[in-house]
Amino acid sequence: MDRVTPPPARSGQLRSEAVSRIRLLQLGSVALLLGSWEAVARLGWVDPLFVPAPSAVASAFFRVGALAMAGLGDTLAKTAVAYVISVVLGVGGGLVLGSIRPVRQAVNPFVIALYGMPKILVLPWIVLLLGFGTLPAVVYGAIHGVFPILVLVTGAVRDVDHTLLMVGRAFGARRRQLYWKVVLPAIVPTVLTGMRLGIVFCLLGVLIVEMFAGVRGMGHVLGSLANGFQAPELFAATALVSTASIVIVLSLDALNDRLSHWRGDTR
Amino acid sequence: MSVALIRVVIVAVALGAWEVFGRLGNPLLYVPPSAALPALGRLLTLQSYPELGEHLLLTLREIAVAYALAIAAGIGVGAALGLNRVVGRTYGPILAALYAVPAVVWYPSLMLFFGLDAASKIAFGFLLGFFPIALAVLAGIRQVNAQLVIVARAFGASGITVFRKVMLPAMLFTLVGGLRTGLALTVIGVIVGEVLGAKAGMGSLINHAYGLFRTADYVALVVVTLLLIVASDAVAGVVEQRARRWTE
Repeated sequence: MDRVTPPPARSGQLRSEAVSRIRLLQLGSVALLLGSWEAVARLGWVDPLFVPAPSAVASAFFRVGALAMAGLGDTLAKTAVAYVISVVLGVGGGLVLGSIRPVRQAVNPFVIALYGMPKILVLPWIVLLLGFGTLPAVVYGAIHGVFPILVLVTGAVRDVDHTLLMVGRAFGARRRQLYWKVVLPAIVPTVLTGMRLGIVFCLLGVLIVEMFAGVRGMGHVLGSLANGFQAPELFAATALVSTASIVIVLSLDALNDRLSHWRGDTR
Repeated sequence: MSVALIRVVIVAVALGAWEVFGRLGNPLLYVPPSAALPALGRLLTLQSYPELGEHLLLTLREIAVAYALAIAAGIGVGAALGLNRVVGRTYGPILAALYAVPAVVWYPSLMLFFGLDAASKIAFGFLLGFFPIALAVLAGIRQVNAQLVIVARAFGASGITVFRKVMLPAMLFTLVGGLRTGLALTVIGVIVGEVLGAKAGMGSLINHAYGLFRTADYVALVVVTLLLIVASDAVAGVVEQRARRWTE
């Protein structure tokens, strides 16, 4: 809460000390949580059928690891395809909607409405239409991923500084040059934000389809482990896919940071 | 042509195209509006699903319980993280990292633990609603000007007064936005839970109609559920507007 900044000469050292203390606290809390969970499970206060001890989950990981890794690979491959489709359609559509005002005014309310509509309602229809397997997962993942990117990019293109465009035109830039030299650099941060949001949405969509009507993939693995009451294996697989998605998002964040440094942003 | 007219034309063209393609296509897969409306009528007059009211009420009850829990936990956790610096810096990043996981991966575990009844849907709706509320409370507290708090304290205001007169007005806008997002996600969570596996509730009816290829009934159920969702968001929107006016 206090805004007093330490003297610059020592701030780096202080900050690194503070950071390592925070890391220690985080690790300690997680260890404490796992430890008390283990104790509670060993003491028999919870039914191991539903809440297995961390040690049981860890050993289950070796049993379910191969199956879960295969499922995760399958899911990530579908997610990657859905993600590429989402980014291409989202950025392309956003450029069109953002730069052509009449189209934006006519279409944008529908885009916003579709973005807000819970996609779960169309899931059964998509499965009816496209059957079981890879295609519905990719389509449904893309439906989840495209809207946040589309909405963000539309806004960013609309809000590109008009002075820059005017100056560019005054200096004789052609339409294509304006897009390459002014509009695209200006929307890069927003595109990256949209891409970070979009990946989680794509993964979510793919996983839901796999749980609902999957024959392969992580969602299907999780669903069948739950149906088989294999709690330790289920927890291990859940931990695996959670870690994977955290790693993906954090590395996109890191990339984002790098790029904004490179662009010279002071944020 | 005015913008409104163009939008009407777009809707009309979409409905027309849906009608034409729906008639041409397989009736198990495509339901034209001319078939969806009678199905909606049958649904609302309780012919296709006589127990519609009970399912609707159950879904609403699940949403209400899950949302109440999400508000309580979200405000509690957000305040704990926002008011104490060490707690915030320690657990804030963990919360943010967990938020990056597509929540549906927790659902099988919740279903295993809480069973197929309402409890697992409440738990999942709670989980989805909790994160935006907690993060909004955290962000809201962080955007309160620390100097205002110090000055209020210096003039002898008690902790409760500082919260009511200084912090709440400053963070209300963010808080209410988070509460609205939280409601939307709670509603989605409950319905996703019901579709993925339930014995009762709107989601289970949707799943039932889909499983029996009663596609027209499915479309009608989707329309009713969508109305429920839009209505809940409209209520939240009105509350948000009120709060905004109060802040200004």
